Amino acid sequence: MLQSQSLSHPSERTDKPDSQVGSDSLFAGYRRHQGAWDELFAADGEPHPHCRLLVERLGQLRSNEFQNRRASADLVFINQSITFSVYSDRRGVEKIFPFDLVPRPVAASEWDRTEAGLKQRILALNHFLYDVYHDRRIIKEGIIPGELVLGSKCYRPEMIGFEPPGRQYVHVCGTDLIRDTKGEFLVLEDNGRTPSGVSYVLENRVVMKKVFPQLFQHFRVRRVEDYPQRLRDALFSVAPAGAGDPPTVVLLTPGPYNSAYFEHSFLARHMGIELVVGRDLFVEDDVVYLQTTHGAEKVDVIYRRLDDDFLDPEAFRPDSLLGVPGLFRAYRAGNVTLANAVGTGVADDKAIYPFVEDMIRFYLSEEPILRNVPTYICDRPSDRAFVLDHLHELVVKAVNESGGYGMLMGHTSTEAQRAEFREKIRANPRNYIAQPIVTLSTCPTWTDEGSAPRHVDLRPYIVSGRSTWVLPGGLTRTALVKGSLVVNSSQGGGSKDTWVMENTR
Amino acid sequence: MISRVAEHCFWMARYLERAEDTARILDVNQTLLLDYHVPMEQQWRPVLIISGIYDMPGEPQAETVQDYMTWEASNLCSIASSLAAARENARIIREVISAEMWERLNYYHLWMQGSAARQLYENSRCDFYSEIRRINQLIHGIADGTMSHDEPWSFFQLGTYLERACQTARILDVKYHMGMRGGDKVQDADATPVDNAHWVAILTSCSGYEPFHKKVRQLQDTGMAVAEFLVLDNEFPRSVRCCLRRCERAAHAVSGRPVDQPGDGVEKMLAELIGWLNGRSIAEVFRDGLHEALTHVVDSTHELGAAIHRTYFDVRGRTGSSKRGV
Repeated sequence: MLQSQSLSHPSERTDKPDSQVGSDSLFAGYRRHQGAWDELFAADGEPHPHCRLLVERLGQLRSNEFQNRRASADLVFINQSITFSVYSDRRGVEKIFPFDLVPRPVAASEWDRTEAGLKQRILALNHFLYDVYHDRRIIKEGIIPGELVLGSKCYRPEMIGFEPPGRQYVHVCGTDLIRDTKGEFLVLEDNGRTPSGVSYVLENRVVMKKVFPQLFQHFRVRRVEDYPQRLRDALFSVAPAGAGDPPTVVLLTPGPYNSAYFEHSFLARHMGIELVVGRDLFVEDDVVYLQTTHGAEKVDVIYRRLDDDFLDPEAFRPDSLLGVPGLFRAYRAGNVTLANAVGTGVADDKAIYPFVEDMIRFYLSEEPILRNVPTYICDRPSDRAFVLDHLHELVVKAVNESGGYGMLMGHTSTEAQRAEFREKIRANPRNYIAQPIVTLSTCPTWTDEGSAPRHVDLRPYIVSGRSTWVLPGGLTRTALVKGSLVVNSSQGGGSKDTWVMENTR
Repeated sequence: MISRVAEHCFWMARYLERAEDTARILDVNQTLLLDYHVPMEQQWRPVLIISGIYDMPGEPQAETVQDYMTWEASNLCSIASSLAAARENARIIREVISAEMWERLNYYHLWMQGSAARQLYENSRCDFYSEIRRINQLIHGIADGTMSHDEPWSFFQLGTYLERACQTARILDVKYHMGMRGGDKVQDADATPVDNAHWVAILTSCSGYEPFHKKVRQLQDTGMAVAEFLVLDNEFPRSVRCCLRRCERAAHAVSGRPVDQPGDGVEKMLAELIGWLNGRSIAEVFRDGLHEALTHVVDSTHELGAAIHRTYFDVRGRTGSSKRGV
C-alpha cells in the first residue's frame, strides 16, 4: 500500500522507509469493533475508498510522533482555555472538551445527500411550527395527535397567531445523526432551541490545521470557517421592519457561569456583534435598548442562547433574573427578532420526533431523505406495553431532558434501574419514548493502548435566515470510554474534526 | 460600548496593574533589606499599610507578609487574587480583548496555579517578582499592538493609570507609615543612610531610578527631589501627574470632548485634581505636609473611581454586581 512519493511531505515522512508499515504506526494493531460500522475501515479491514489516502498518510505517523502532536494540540486548548463548565459545579470548573486528532471523514457525495435531507427536515419543522401556532392543519387532519402538541411543555400559547419575520422559527438547528450498523445516517434528535457545540467545530479545525498543516494541502476538506458570517448574514436577513442598516444584532447569554459561555463569547467575537447579558438590555415602549456608555442604543435582532423560560420574567418565569422584562412584548410588537423564535421546543420535543417523517410527507409531499430511528411512544398503550416488556433491550428517554440526562440504557441497566423507569413510565407515559439500542458507528480514536474503535455521532448545524445553509460536516462527538454509547460532553465524551472530503482521484 | 463591558475592561486593567505594583513593592522591600539594617517592625508592616491592610493574621515578618501578599486567596490585594480577578474579568469580555491578550493572560493564570510559579517563588524570589511585573508589561504590549484603540482600549487605559496614580502615591507615602521623617524638610546632611536608602528603594520600586538620575543632575535634597519626580514629573509614566493626565486623555477619548473642555463628572474631577497639582511646587507640598498631599491624591482617586462608576457603568442607577471591584 505504498503511496506515490509526490504526496509525501518531508516533515511527515519518517526516517526509515519501511516505518509506514512498522508496528508502531498509528493504525497498526487497530481492531475493528465487530458489531459496528467503522468510519474508516470496511468489514474486510481495508479502508473505505474515500478514506484510503487519509489512512495511508496518517498511518505513516509513528505512535510517539502522533502522541507529540496530540500534546501540542492539548496545549492549544489549555492555553486558550477552550472550555465548557459543568453544571453541577456552581462556580464552574472549566473543563477542556477532550479532542481526538484522528479526523472523522465523510465522503462529499454522501454528505451532499445528507445535507439535502437536513434542509428538507428543517423546512418541514418550520412549516410545522407555523402551523401549530396558526391553523393547526396537521392536527385537524389527524397526522399528529393534538394532545401531544398542545400538551408539550414547550408549546407556547403566547405565540399563537404571531408571525415571526420571514416565518422563520428555527434559525439555528443542531440535528444529531448516528450511523447504524449498515452505515446509514439516521436522525437521533433535532435540537431546535439553543443548540451548542459549533464553536468546537471551528476550534477543532484551527487546531487540526496547526498540528497537521500538510494533511490539509493534500485533501480537499470543505471549509467550516464561514459559519460565523453565515450566521450573521442569516440574523441580518430576519431583522424586523424599521431596523438599522446594518441592523444591531446582539448575542444574549445567560452569563459567564453558563456551561457554554465560551461558545457565546466565541461566536460574538467571530460575528463582530456584542455579547450581552439580560441586564445590559431594557425595554421601553416595546422597543429593546442596549445600555451603553453613551446612553441607550436600539437593538434589532437578538441571537439568544437563553431558554424560553428565562427570556422575560413578565411573560414567562417570573423568577428569572437572566432575562429582560418586557422583551416578549417587544417581540410580539414586531420591534425585535428573536433567534431562535419562542416556542420552537415543541418541534424538537422527543414526543413529537416520531412524527417528523410524516410532517415531511404532509407539508412537502416528499419522502424523507433521512430516516428516524424507530421509536416507541409510551403514550400509546400498545407501544407502552411493548416498552415495559422489553426495557432491557431499549433505550428510554425522558422527552424534556437533554445532555444524556434522564436516560435508561436498557442493556447495561440494573433491575433496580429498570424498575424505577417502569414506575416513571406508568406514572407519566407522555414523558417517555423508547428506541431500540442502535450500535453507533465507530471511528479510530487515540487511546492509551494506541488507536482503538470508539463510538461516534454527528451533529450538523443548519442555519436559516431567508435561506438555509448547512455547515459542512459538523461536530463529531466521540465516546472515550470503551464500549460506551454516550457521547455527550457532560458525560465524558470528546470530539473530533469532521472532514467532508471532496473526491480525490 | 456596553456599560458592563466597559466596567470589566476597566477592572481587568486595574487588577493587572495592582498585581504589578504589589510585586514591585514586595521586590524592592526585599532588596532593600539585603543592604540595610532596618528594625524588624519597620521592615514589612508598611507593605501592608500601603495596600490598606490592617488585619493580616500573625506577625508581619518577611515570609508571612510576602506569602500573604503573593498567594493568599482571601486577601483581595494579593498578587494571586489580583491576577485571578483580572483573568476572570478578561474571560467575561473575551470577545472584546484580542485573542493574543487572552491567551497570554490565561497562560499566566495557569502558570500561577501550577507548581512552576511556586518553585520560582521558593528558589528565586527576585525572578518571581520580575516575572509578575512582566505579565502586565506583556499584556500592555500585546494590547497596544493587537487591540483597536477605540473605546474598550480607553477604559483599559483609564483603569491602568487610575490604579497606578493611586499606587505611586501610596508607595511614596510609605515613609510616613514607617514613622520616619518624610513630610518635613530633610537635608541630605541630616539624612541617615537608612533614610536615603528608602528614597532609593521607593524610586526603584517605581522603575524610576534611572529616569530620575537622567533628569535630576544636581541633587540638593534627595527626598524632595524623589517626591517631585514621582508626583509632579510630566514625562515619567509612573508619576502621579503623568498618570492623571493619561486618565484625562482616556476619559476625553470616551466622551469625544477636547481635553480643555471637561464635561462630565469624571472629566471635571480629573481637571480639578490635575489643577491642584499644577498649582503647587514641591516645596509648598512639603511645607503643607507630603503625607497630607498624598492622602488627598489617594482619596481623590477613590472618588474618581466612584465617579467613573456613576458616569459610565451605572447609567440608569441600577445597583451593579458585587464581583467587579473592591
